[in-house]
Amino acid sequence: NQEKKAWQQPALEVLDV
Amino acid sequence: MIESQTIALTDFISPCEQNIVSDMDGEKVMLSIRNGKYYNLGTVGGRIWDSLGSTISARQIVDLLMAEYDVERTVCEQHVISFLEHLWKEGLILVNQENSISIHA
Repeated sequence: NQEKKAWQQPALEVLDV
Repeated sequence: MIESQTIALTDFISPCEQNIVSDMDGEKVMLSIRNGKYYNLGTVGGRIWDSLGSTISARQIVDLLMAEYDVERTVCEQHVISFLEHLWKEGLILVNQENSISIHA
């Protein structure tokens, strides 16, 4: 019965640093 | 750099040690010492990264996420494999394929 978290597609973002 | 190779659910994944990882506002940010790039893994991506503390199979990662997130298995598998392949392509993980040949990024 444990409430599950909403799914978001994992994405690897390359940061422009 | 890894070319267009694919990861199977039976492959074992481990983190490359040449990364500095930090949590920022619930998301995981990483600096690759090897290539000097910064990455944002996001929340789910950060959870996947945390699961790589020791060598783990892609299927085990999916099982772990299925227990925590509201997602169908087929969708979860597709998303996780795609994410891992991107990590692999960037040289952030090591993939030990089921034929026991260790492939380094």
